[in-house]
Amino acid sequence: MSDYEIQLVVNSKSETITVEGGEALLRALRRIGYVDVKLSCEGGDCGACAVLLDGVAVNACLVFAAQADGCEVTTVRGIGTENNLHPIQRQIIEKGGVQCGFCTPGIIVSAKALIDENPDPTREDIQRGLAGNLCRCTGYKKIFEAVAAAAEEIRKEEAV
Amino acid sequence: MEYVRASTVDEALSAAKLGATFVAGGTNLVPDVLFGRKQTERVVDISRLSELQFIENKDGRIRVGALTTVTDLLQSDLIRRGAFPLYESALEFAGPLVRNRATVAGNLLDASPAADLAPPLLAQDGEAELLSFAGRRTLPLQNFFLGYRNTGVRPGELVTAISIRPLGESDRATYCKLQLRRAMAISLLSVAVVLWMDGETCLDAGIGLGAVAAVPFRAEAAEAVLRGRVIGEVEIDAAADAARESASPIDDVRASANYRKKMCGVLVRRLLREAMGLPEVTRA
Repeated sequence: MSDYEIQLVVNSKSETITVEGGEALLRALRRIGYVDVKLSCEGGDCGACAVLLDGVAVNACLVFAAQADGCEVTTVRGIGTENNLHPIQRQIIEKGGVQCGFCTPGIIVSAKALIDENPDPTREDIQRGLAGNLCRCTGYKKIFEAVAAAAEEIRKEEAV
Repeated sequence: MEYVRASTVDEALSAAKLGATFVAGGTNLVPDVLFGRKQTERVVDISRLSELQFIENKDGRIRVGALTTVTDLLQSDLIRRGAFPLYESALEFAGPLVRNRATVAGNLLDASPAADLAPPLLAQDGEAELLSFAGRRTLPLQNFFLGYRNTGVRPGELVTAISIRPLGESDRATYCKLQLRRAMAISLLSVAVVLWMDGETCLDAGIGLGAVAAVPFRAEAAEAVLRGRVIGEVEIDAAADAARESASPIDDVRASANYRKKMCGVLVRRLLREAMGLPEVTRA
């Protein structure tokens, strides 16, 4: 096994990680404590490990860690904090978009990417935007409502 | 596994000795390595070769750089206007997290029988542009897939672009992917139909079929029925029969071989009728 040292900026913090050539970004992030990036299918099917890589939403399990060298990574913890929740996070709580909570970090990352790109998404836009994220509890309805409400909240904030 | 990052095309070619695998989006290769479906001693990362990420009109063809992502296809007016079935296949491709990384060349090189982008690229006379130290060559996509998960791209050869014959205002084209849900689904089968028109006459036809054989392929017998003809019900039924007969699908978890074969004829007929503005066939 060959090891490589990579530099990342994760949620605005510089990190140096030693990774193996065949190791996915997901495993590397979790090893240094970013366990908010969820490890589930490791095949790109579920979206639980979604992160923003230089602002683009991707599955962290489908990128070799070495490929991300020099990139900025945003996990769910970089989108809002416990004391200063992002509107998506607040609305997910308010609308009851969380049951077991395992898919929630990935859902929030995908929703953030969606709203950044399309501030006024239709219900279908939201469904398509979250199509790569599996939730086995909620039936999605409350998640979609939360994302729509968050988008509206953000539009109002920005109009002020 | 050794990891090498290429910052130029020359570096990529130099690093790609026998046994090396190129990686770009990684959406197939990363889990294939993790789960042991693919063994490779060395990966050569070409994802930063931004000169291979473009969509352009050149010499009467649309050229799509090898590293163009599926998301890039969806954001391109040139693709939506000049390659509508490819645009539609991109819409139905996995989900946004995968589309943001998956590349056009990667989808072809993975050589899955169900590769979503293959039928529309085949239907529009797609050709792969290949580069190696031995020089450049082009490989028409109907000769690209040699067998199940096997392509005619040689070790050390880099796919640099895919070019296709564009659609004009009067040409007709459509696409359908049969799948068990609207996202993140491997197709049961998929069909792309393209008709280049001169008035009422079909100058040329392209029909790409996916997931009905070991490789995606062109239904050449069906195309021959349409080429040079004024297309009506008779021609459409004959082409659908020919397409169905050209299919040799398998049974798997998604559908039976029988169903796939039958639906191949049904979809080709349905898409040709739609392309020609004929009403849907109602069930007797």
